[in-house]
Amino acid sequence: MANLLEQLLNALALAGLLFLVSAGLSLVFGILRVVNFAHGVFYMIGAYLGFTTVALTGWFWPALVVVPPIVGLLGALLESSTLRFIYRRPPIYQLLLTFGLALILEESVRVLYGPTAKGVEPPPLLQGAIDLGGLLYPRYRLFLVVLGCTVGVAVWLFLKATRAGLVIRAVAQNSEMADCLGADVARVRTLVFGAACALAGLGGVAAAPMTTAYLGMGISVIVDAFVVVVIGGLGSIGGSMAGSLIVGAAQTWGAFYLPETAMVIMYAVMGAILVFRPWGLFGEEE
Amino acid sequence: MRRRDFLKAAVAGGAGASLGGRIYPRTAWAQGPIKIGMPAALSGGYAQYGIQAKRAADLFARDIKAKGVLGRPVEFIFEDTAGDPAAAVRKAQKLVEKDGVKFLTGVALSSEALAVSAKCPEWKVIFMSTINGAGALTAKSFHRYFFRVNTSGPMGARAVSLYLAESPMKRFFTLGSDYAWGRDSVASFTSQITAAKKDIVGADYPPVGTKDFASYIAKIRQSRADGVYLVLPGQDATIYLKQAHQFGLNREVKPIMEILELENMKAVGDAMVGAIGSSRYPFTVDTPKNRDFVKRFHELHGLYPDMFDGETYEGLEWLAQVIAKAGTDDVEKVIDAWEDSSYDGLEGPFFMRKCDHQAVQPGFAVECVKDPKYPHPIPKILATYPGEKVTPKCRTEEFS
Repeated sequence: MANLLEQLLNALALAGLLFLVSAGLSLVFGILRVVNFAHGVFYMIGAYLGFTTVALTGWFWPALVVVPPIVGLLGALLESSTLRFIYRRPPIYQLLLTFGLALILEESVRVLYGPTAKGVEPPPLLQGAIDLGGLLYPRYRLFLVVLGCTVGVAVWLFLKATRAGLVIRAVAQNSEMADCLGADVARVRTLVFGAACALAGLGGVAAAPMTTAYLGMGISVIVDAFVVVVIGGLGSIGGSMAGSLIVGAAQTWGAFYLPETAMVIMYAVMGAILVFRPWGLFGEEE
Repeated sequence: MRRRDFLKAAVAGGAGASLGGRIYPRTAWAQGPIKIGMPAALSGGYAQYGIQAKRAADLFARDIKAKGVLGRPVEFIFEDTAGDPAAAVRKAQKLVEKDGVKFLTGVALSSEALAVSAKCPEWKVIFMSTINGAGALTAKSFHRYFFRVNTSGPMGARAVSLYLAESPMKRFFTLGSDYAWGRDSVASFTSQITAAKKDIVGADYPPVGTKDFASYIAKIRQSRADGVYLVLPGQDATIYLKQAHQFGLNREVKPIMEILELENMKAVGDAMVGAIGSSRYPFTVDTPKNRDFVKRFHELHGLYPDMFDGETYEGLEWLAQVIAKAGTDDVEKVIDAWEDSSYDGLEGPFFMRKCDHQAVQPGFAVECVKDPKYPHPIPKILATYPGEKVTPKCRTEEFS
């Protein structure tokens, strides 16, 4: 029983992190129609800025509040200074641009911070393990579960129940029509790109105490995030949630029960989705 | 000054500067430089290893600058492979064919080394490993143009096994990254530890770049092992140790590492104190030559040398000695001069045996401890084993 609970929590904690990254990736594709290769790097930048904030203030909590807006602002600046000019070009241009941005940003982080990984301590409240009826489980991972759920519900409510969310959905559905009806499409794109980067930055801060901040964490997470988005459906927040849960479970349970095939399971699910439901579980058929 | 004038001045200055640099060696040195190519992982997730190789090369270049080798300057040419075997082969080929290097070193990952080394007989250049652990390089994949100056993975496993054979620990779990080095070292550890009448109670091979070890941690805990033998490259080891600490596992199951690196100790910090393992080169080894090296290294870089800083420096110094002994940088003659030669290394005597070009050298079992003199935990030497005891039988990964 304790074993099953542990496996469940492991899957949920990983899914929480994956959701923070894939939600933004999915939003950006939905609104901007751009596959953003640089998305994982914003996650990494979030982790490193989290390290800096903790090093400067000695506190973890401020990092959760301060870092996402900074990462978001950086994202918005990059969107309005580069991506904005090539939306009308073929998709390969956007791929190349975001890939180039990813390399530049990653190497900038290496130059600034050096190659050594940066450890971040969880706040005292979340350090160590808690006894859940005979199961020792790290408090910090429970926090990740809660954080993932909270942010998921918040983003979903924002898109469904606010006017800004309505405009965003309108742009996603038909940007030309939304433009005609008076929505400032360029501004919506910049804001959504920034918000998506802020979410990734939040994910990075949250991941740092679990994985440390290290070079390459962006690349490693973006691969999983793409799988999540393909499974869940591009542009769908509900899809990102479902996809994160599926990938989180496939990775942790696979590694536990079928270690030799752990990597295969995740891609097998993705392959099956691509064959039978190419628009993803929650995506819309085009 | 107008923009155009400024550009002209800059171009002229640049041309002058580069011309000056070119003229200097011709007047001061007998012949062109001896070129050493380093296709190293300088960016990406495994950059820390490439950067260690580069740091060692920078110090060596400074030390050798005045006298050179055979009256010729030594020139290092770096290429970034980002830890990708295909890129490593491409960059190595560029170094050989375009830059004309006769010596390749600084390759970071075993997967890269196996790919690059395979091409060296065709290129007729020497591949000097100072980092790569995969046992196969001096066994199944061995050829005349390959030399390994560093301690290999099986040799590290050997040193730890010799230490553990004497310890009260009985049950072990092995966790090795799913590639050449991880699988080789685990196999070597398993055969040696079972020979010492101890038990392996579980084994797993997480993929390289694993970021969540929770499932493996659960299995290790369930196995009720006394110790877990870890063969994980840099970042993966850091993440494992952090997470195992958060699960409270390190208190129950002792981490035993194939390589106990400073990089991990810096990133993990106090949570790593108590971990044991082997070290290819612990900077705390107390020989006069090493004390002097650590001091010079710290002066130049402002930090203490990690394992491959030391091993790469030794490789470069040895290679320079061998070229001087051969009296030429002709590859075939250098190989002949290197075989069965001795070298006074930082941590003790080295011997390059002819049969598989594996350098016989001391092996170490170390423990991660805190020392107020240093800004991070350091490796404390628990036991030193002579080269004969930790070097496998020729062209194998087995020990007698």
